[in-house]
Amino acid sequence: MHLAGYPLSAVLGAFGAAAACAVVLYILRLRRRPVAVVFSPIWRSVLGERESSRLFSQLKRWLSLLLQLALIALLALALGDPRLAARSAEARHLVVLLDTSASMQATDVPKGRIAAARDKVAQLVAGLGPSDRMLLAQMDASVTPLSTMTDDVAELGLALERVRPSDTRADLGRALSFALDSLNGRTRPEIILVSDGAFAEETRRHAPALGNVALSFVPVGSSGHNVAISEFSVRRYPLDRSRYEVMLEVVNGNDTPAELELSLFGDGQITETTRLSLAAGERRAQFYANLAGADRTLEASITTAPGLNDLGRDDRAYALMPERRRSRILVVTAGNTYLEAALLLDEYLEVSRAAPGEALPPGRFDVTILDGVTLPPEPRLGSLLYLDLPAQGGPLALGKAINDFGFDRWDEKSPILRWTAPENVQVESGHALVPGRGDRVLGASELGPILVSGRREGQAFVALGFDPRKSDLVLRVTWPLFLLNTINYFVEEDTTYVSSFRTGDVWQIPAPGNAEMAWLTSPDGSRSRVALENGKARHLGLYAGFYELAVENDSRPPLRFAANLSDLDESRIAPVGKLELGREVAGEVHGFEVRARHQLWGYLLIAVLIASAFEWVSYHRRVTV
Amino acid sequence: MFEALKRTFSGARAGTEKERGAAPKARRSAAGSGSRAASPLLFDDEFQRKLESLALVSRRVFAGRMRAERRSKKKGSGVEFADHRAYAPGDDFRFVDWNVYQRFGRLLVRLFEEEEDLSIYLIVDCSGSMAFGSPSKFDQARRLCAALAYVGLANLDRVTVVAANEGGGTVMPSTRGKNRIFKVFQYLEKLEAGGVTNLAASLKTFAAQHKRRGLALLISDLYDPQGFEAAINVLRYNKFEPYVLHLVEPSLDSLNRDTILGDINVYDCETGEEREVTVTESVLKSIRAAHQEYDAAIQKFCTRSHVPYFAAPADLPFDEVVLRVLRRGGVLR
Repeated sequence: MHLAGYPLSAVLGAFGAAAACAVVLYILRLRRRPVAVVFSPIWRSVLGERESSRLFSQLKRWLSLLLQLALIALLALALGDPRLAARSAEARHLVVLLDTSASMQATDVPKGRIAAARDKVAQLVAGLGPSDRMLLAQMDASVTPLSTMTDDVAELGLALERVRPSDTRADLGRALSFALDSLNGRTRPEIILVSDGAFAEETRRHAPALGNVALSFVPVGSSGHNVAISEFSVRRYPLDRSRYEVMLEVVNGNDTPAELELSLFGDGQITETTRLSLAAGERRAQFYANLAGADRTLEASITTAPGLNDLGRDDRAYALMPERRRSRILVVTAGNTYLEAALLLDEYLEVSRAAPGEALPPGRFDVTILDGVTLPPEPRLGSLLYLDLPAQGGPLALGKAINDFGFDRWDEKSPILRWTAPENVQVESGHALVPGRGDRVLGASELGPILVSGRREGQAFVALGFDPRKSDLVLRVTWPLFLLNTINYFVEEDTTYVSSFRTGDVWQIPAPGNAEMAWLTSPDGSRSRVALENGKARHLGLYAGFYELAVENDSRPPLRFAANLSDLDESRIAPVGKLELGREVAGEVHGFEVRARHQLWGYLLIAVLIASAFEWVSYHRRVTV
Repeated sequence: MFEALKRTFSGARAGTEKERGAAPKARRSAAGSGSRAASPLLFDDEFQRKLESLALVSRRVFAGRMRAERRSKKKGSGVEFADHRAYAPGDDFRFVDWNVYQRFGRLLVRLFEEEEDLSIYLIVDCSGSMAFGSPSKFDQARRLCAALAYVGLANLDRVTVVAANEGGGTVMPSTRGKNRIFKVFQYLEKLEAGGVTNLAASLKTFAAQHKRRGLALLISDLYDPQGFEAAINVLRYNKFEPYVLHLVEPSLDSLNRDTILGDINVYDCETGEEREVTVTESVLKSIRAAHQEYDAAIQKFCTRSHVPYFAAPADLPFDEVVLRVLRRGGVLR
């Protein structure tokens, strides 16, 4: 017998203190309640006979004290968690990694793989040895410990109930590293992996070395029939935003050919249905051009014959299209045919014109294009595009005058220069721009910056250091693209923004405004608060579907976006019976026999309860008082 | 306490119709709010009229002091024929029975019973135990005393109120006439309950001070450590006609289990005598049984001694005690 909990000295100390308190309380007799009676001789006549039993009453009090001391002794002993010495040598420390990746949502076994995995973990918990301690963690794109390293079966049972599958791949390397850290310095360490084993080859090959930590594998799943949408993307046409094109990829993971029906839903209504025949193991890209009928959301879905598809989570894919709305543009120019003609290309622009020095039209504008002029910045003017930035009144200072130059460097990733080829532009004359702190140079010649973007007092601007009419820019396709890209950049519309994140990644969601916090609504309706940094919310996405991001203290409607599994490895759900991680081969679990747990503290507490019940009954029956 | 009673009596005598109409409303209000016990006096007009029609019954004939409506041992100018006697010179000719003279030729004078007043002694126990419990037995006793005093005064009897307490007792001097009821009220109002019960000593003092015998009505809970028998015997042996109105403790039947069960320190409300006890269900049952035995012993003693005995729970409305208990028991007619 030894104590696994508090040491003997602490147990004795606790017993001594509690026993002393009990004895003191018995010595200092309980203060009795005074009760007035109308005629004490009657009480005297009744109670007079009982005087003779006073000695026996005192003896009964001593019996009660002894009972209390026995209860305290049992409780103190329970604090010490006494164990039988023969059993203590069997103590193991176990980390159970329960795979909750998307492939574990397959239904090839009754009730599904997750339920089967839960049952197997429950069996392990029930078969824990008396000294064994277990930590339960769920493994998907991240590792989430669900319990402490404990031998408390109830805690492990509750932890098991909290297991929730996600729509991500499993990060096995991270999970193993977590388990190794948790087992560091523990006796008889062991990792038990409860999974279908459907990990990518690269993942298995680069698993961390386990050293002296034993690895056991509990396989889950029986078959690998699956057909999946592995890629899904949609975008509007830049010059006709009412129409869009869709690219998706479907995969047949079966060993046999599969017939499937592919449906597209725009705003919840079916817009396209296609029947496909895929050969065994075939990946096929489907491209749908010039589609119409969806305004905000687009969803793809596949259906197959029964028995060919055990995983439903990769049968649907989601995308959100940028919202269409008319942008209000104010053009302040003395007359620029090239400018006005380029703006005519986008029918979703509502263009107002004003000559320099004239009163401006009323109302708010999304973008104001200043052609060789400046205006005092006002919030109602929106973002500002300066063409041929004047020397005075602009957000930037002008540098030296330059002649005969072009774009020698430009920011290819900038959405303003998307689809353009500025390298061929020839400019007769202009000025180099002097960017301020925090400004971004989008284009520059060898003589200095000529295209700069930035922000002044919350108002975004893009400045061009030359008059486009003094270059061949206006004769090139780059010119209208530059204008429309700039306008889209300002109004935060991006025709390539398909709003489809991949689950399992840390998403960087652009958030309008300067707030620091936002509320993220998940597809299941749950809300969480996320921090914004540099105008972006970062969130580890676990579930596929449509999300909403509402910025705090911002009146604008919430930003919507979609997330998809889009993971070919995760769609390969064929389970493995034997798991190899690098050079390690996971063994089978053993040593989990369902039997009575030999932790004596539980029995001690039961004894205390029984004794307390006896004492309670005896007290209220006035036997021990 | 007796202000309301006084107002009721004033209203009955000289009040307006409006005042008389308001009284029942106030009663209904008091009864509806459940404050019947909190309002000690419910001596309304109707009850007062009922009291006026009642009279205390005395089974014995006592010598009176003034002419009134009670039979007395004296022969005199009453209306009830009592006897004949031989005529003696000087007798009033109006009382000669001429019919007898015509038949027998003898001069006989008709004698009539003299109607005198009756001395009624209302003895109120003012010991500490009378104030114990809720509703208070002492308040009930004073209300009953006031009602009985009114009955006596309304019948031109001589009423004396005696407060029996630890110091031997105080006495309100004998009074007579209905309008003296206020004096009774004032006296009762000033009484306070307290001290240890010693009824026998108090009644001995009372008997020594009052030579005129009459009806003695003892209103008490009879919780006398010296024994209730001695007190009643004092009245019997001094040739009073004793009546016992026993105010029974109402809380005995409803001893609160939650507050009294367990380890408690019992102390006597009069003597302060303490005793540590552990009250169990069986003890509680024994206490209740002992109380019932004590009450039964009082009743048995009174029956054996031919002393009219009336038990009235303290929570019984006092008008019900007067009109039902005492009337049925024969104290009032």
